[in-house]
Amino acid sequence: MASSRERERFDEDLHIRPLRDGKVASTFSFTTLLQDASPRDPLSLAYDDESQHYTLFPLALGQILRTYAITELHLALNAGKWRYESWGFPEEPGVGTGAELWAWMGDGASTTIDERWQGLRNALAGLFCASLGSMDDQRTTSPFLTFTPEGSLPNATLPYRLRHATLPSEHVCTENLTPFLKLLPCKSLSGLARLLNPHRLFDADWHGMSVHVTWREGQGVEVRLIFQTVIDPIRNSGGKRRDWSFESLFGRVVENRCPVATTSRVRIQLPSEETYAILPDPTSNADNIATYDTSVGQDPLDVSMRWPEEYAFQYQITALDLPEIPLTPLTLQRTLIGSSQAQGQLSIVIQNTLSSQIQTIYLETMPWLVQLYIHTLQIHCNGVQRNDLISNLSYTPSVPHARPAILQSVLTLPPKSTLRLTFDITKSFLRYTEHPPDAQRGWDLPPAVFVPIISVGNRSDVLPRLYTPTLLVDLATPDFSMPYNVIILSCTLMTLIFGSIFNLLTRKFVIVDLKQGKEQKGS
Amino acid sequence: METQQQDETVLREPSKLSFESQRTRRSILASYWIVIFLALPFWWHTTSIERLSLPSARVRAQVEKELAFPVTIDLDATNSSLDIQSLKNDFRQLQKPVLLSSQRWKGIDMQLRLKEDRGTQVVPIPGTYSVAVGKAGALGPKRQLTISENDVPSLLEILSRLVAPYHTSVDSDLREQRVVQYAARYRLAFSLLNEDASLGQTITGWDVDNAIAEYLSPTLSSLSVLHNFTIESQVQLHAPLAFAPQPVTVGNDSAHGLSQEDLTVFINSAHWTLSSSVSNDPVLHFVLFVPSSTQKPLYILDDFGSPTDSSSFLLPQWGGVFILNIAGEAADKLSLSRSHLQPVFSAFRHQLLALLGVPPIPAGMNLVDDDPLSDWQLDAVLRRRALEATQGAQETLYSIVKLVEQIDNMPVGQHVKGDVQDALTALEQVYKVSPSSPTLALRWSSEAFSLASRAFFNPGMLALLYFPAEHKYAVYTPLFASITFPLVVALGREILAWWRDRRQQSRR
Repeated sequence: MASSRERERFDEDLHIRPLRDGKVASTFSFTTLLQDASPRDPLSLAYDDESQHYTLFPLALGQILRTYAITELHLALNAGKWRYESWGFPEEPGVGTGAELWAWMGDGASTTIDERWQGLRNALAGLFCASLGSMDDQRTTSPFLTFTPEGSLPNATLPYRLRHATLPSEHVCTENLTPFLKLLPCKSLSGLARLLNPHRLFDADWHGMSVHVTWREGQGVEVRLIFQTVIDPIRNSGGKRRDWSFESLFGRVVENRCPVATTSRVRIQLPSEETYAILPDPTSNADNIATYDTSVGQDPLDVSMRWPEEYAFQYQITALDLPEIPLTPLTLQRTLIGSSQAQGQLSIVIQNTLSSQIQTIYLETMPWLVQLYIHTLQIHCNGVQRNDLISNLSYTPSVPHARPAILQSVLTLPPKSTLRLTFDITKSFLRYTEHPPDAQRGWDLPPAVFVPIISVGNRSDVLPRLYTPTLLVDLATPDFSMPYNVIILSCTLMTLIFGSIFNLLTRKFVIVDLKQGKEQKGS
Repeated sequence: METQQQDETVLREPSKLSFESQRTRRSILASYWIVIFLALPFWWHTTSIERLSLPSARVRAQVEKELAFPVTIDLDATNSSLDIQSLKNDFRQLQKPVLLSSQRWKGIDMQLRLKEDRGTQVVPIPGTYSVAVGKAGALGPKRQLTISENDVPSLLEILSRLVAPYHTSVDSDLREQRVVQYAARYRLAFSLLNEDASLGQTITGWDVDNAIAEYLSPTLSSLSVLHNFTIESQVQLHAPLAFAPQPVTVGNDSAHGLSQEDLTVFINSAHWTLSSSVSNDPVLHFVLFVPSSTQKPLYILDDFGSPTDSSSFLLPQWGGVFILNIAGEAADKLSLSRSHLQPVFSAFRHQLLALLGVPPIPAGMNLVDDDPLSDWQLDAVLRRRALEATQGAQETLYSIVKLVEQIDNMPVGQHVKGDVQDALTALEQVYKVSPSSPTLALRWSSEAFSLASRAFFNPGMLALLYFPAEHKYAVYTPLFASITFPLVVALGREILAWWRDRRQQSRR
């Protein structure tokens, strides 16, 4: 019998990491590799596409990639705020709140990059039931310094373009997870995806799903579907113990394996300085990572981890003057200052926790409704003004009602220092139709992105991206509840002004002789 | 007396003040009214709805027209036992006006030309069909037909079946409802669905591209005059049914069966990701369903609940399903080779032809040269599709014209007008080319239909439809009524004053 399976390969992996605040971070990754395939040549968009035959690769996604000739695609839908200082770097860097989509496309096709970007957005919006269609020109940027391709780009003679957009107000829920699961070869019915139980996942402290399509030279087109969660076992156990198991985290166990998975493993990060117990015995154990190969055993797998010597988990409450050591080299704070609906100030505080100098790429995207004044940029390092710490600054100002502003630069952070950047901003006055349905809530501003670069000798390590939390900006909002009253009131005002002016201009003054009138009355 | 005299000098007569002169007041009032009158055309222009005139006379004339394809058949009656006289009589029966106006013969103008003896030469016209009597019934290339001696008495019946295969009976009307709407391009989506792969005996792969190349591609390429096809395929490992098939016993073995009602709800679209959202082309689905090891064998039951031999069924206007029961104790993971897929794809091929409305060959006929389809069949589909598209375009155009006439608030923009005009031009082209080429006629008529539909569904047509005049007044009156009132009163007062002045002057 002929075998067409060799062309496609599916691997699944679950990485679980107990966090120091007692929570548990889990990362599911499902990788499908279409071997020896390459992304569609944009020049071939003018002709009919060849037939597409997939066995494991998701057809719905494959069609979208072919139709718009996408070389690399990253889509992330997250809910919550990733706390870098106590959770460290996530397994998958794209953890900005809301929806984020970025794609690299080859230029030179019969349709323009922006038409393809629009088509891609709409197709993905339909596929994932997310409002990605509203990532229009007012949200699209091209920050190529920060979002470099993760795979390879074929045919280097063609220029490649990046399109990036964020939708910080997007809410992620079951309707996004269901189509996500349908892209998996075993859905959520067998294999590790069995653990993706929406009731537990959307109860988590943080959850996010992402889709990554990359092309790896010599290997093929790879689709990675990632689901990350941070679940709090202490909350579920009545505020005491941080013991966890598959059953307690996800409400399910791995019952039967996915028959087409080439590898299927569970990796668990073990604590290094604590006493713990883990059941069942891992298949292998190296470098503080316990690995289970789920394709070996036949019985249902329910990994559980306990801290037997600990009666109740106590989070290290450190003294105020001795703050907890952050797990990332940079800690970020971004705030909007000012109570007025017209003006304000944007302030970013970056702290370098290492005892060596760090450089970081800084990306700020501002929708046009918040106008950034670049000449008011001030940089203070430990309270001293140091404008020399910013370099390679590139800035594209926003165009009202059309384009967001984008600021890319490189910041240098001296060892153990705190950098404070401030910008003056003005808030726009929006047109009646430009307000979102829930206008009083305010507008979410996309997160700023930092890419730390640590230089050791001649070598420089580029660390994963860091996202700041999103901001909420309050713009002047009309009263939408009574438009007809507003019409009548403003019409009355207009008429009043008109009437009095008109009256003044056309009034006829005459002298009325009061005395004469009296005499006439008297006589 | 002295004080009064002083008072009169201080209080000047108001009408003598420069800004109180009658002239100034009247010119102020006049300028107000002039501005209002000048603004009226602007107001009219900015609030009126753009309603371009549609070529309604042309549309009405077009609706009256009926498309007819001439079908000329040359019958070689030289060396056969043909009873020419009765054939002519029968043909005259067929040409009765009652029959010709029926749904079946609409748009077909069949002509029979007889070659009665060897001497007469029939001038060959391109596009004519030639019929001869031979050994066995066969449909040859280049619109040829050979019928066997046995079939000679039913010659006219066979010809009618080939030329007008649609709407022959109530049964065939039902069958034709399965046919999908015409589109220039279809997506053919082949899906291999395992009901539950985790229970073992899974089909994890199939040699689909080779199977399509061998069993389907010839048919697809001969259909290319009608449609283009985009092909895609996928494999799913978990495709649960939305219902539990009923257990039946076949011989001594237990099995499961699908009743006729089950077939209508067989497709579990909530759990099977079959639809593709990426293009607007209609999709025809072909599903190879593999029941799980606990449900197999799965049979289709007839109306009386007993299993049938058939393992495939067709879902009208949607696609086809083939149920594959893996025999006995097979390996855990299987892959279907090209030869395994032969029965599957031959079923899919029949389903595809039925969905596209390609008529079957009459009984007793065969195709020569392994041609997948004969010219007779293709021509019949072409004529039918062109006729449908022409009728559709005519009806849509007529609806647009009627709708625009009925609703006064409906805007008609340049796009709608242009589309209607282009559709009319395309329809005229259909009538021009229909005698010579049904292929071109189909191309023009489908273009006319898509243009007419685009005009009909133009979003601009709806813009002001639901904004009634009452709303307009409700918005205008608070401003306009209160402004107009002092203006009118001031004007009236001035006119009255002017009229009084004149009367006084004339009295003096």
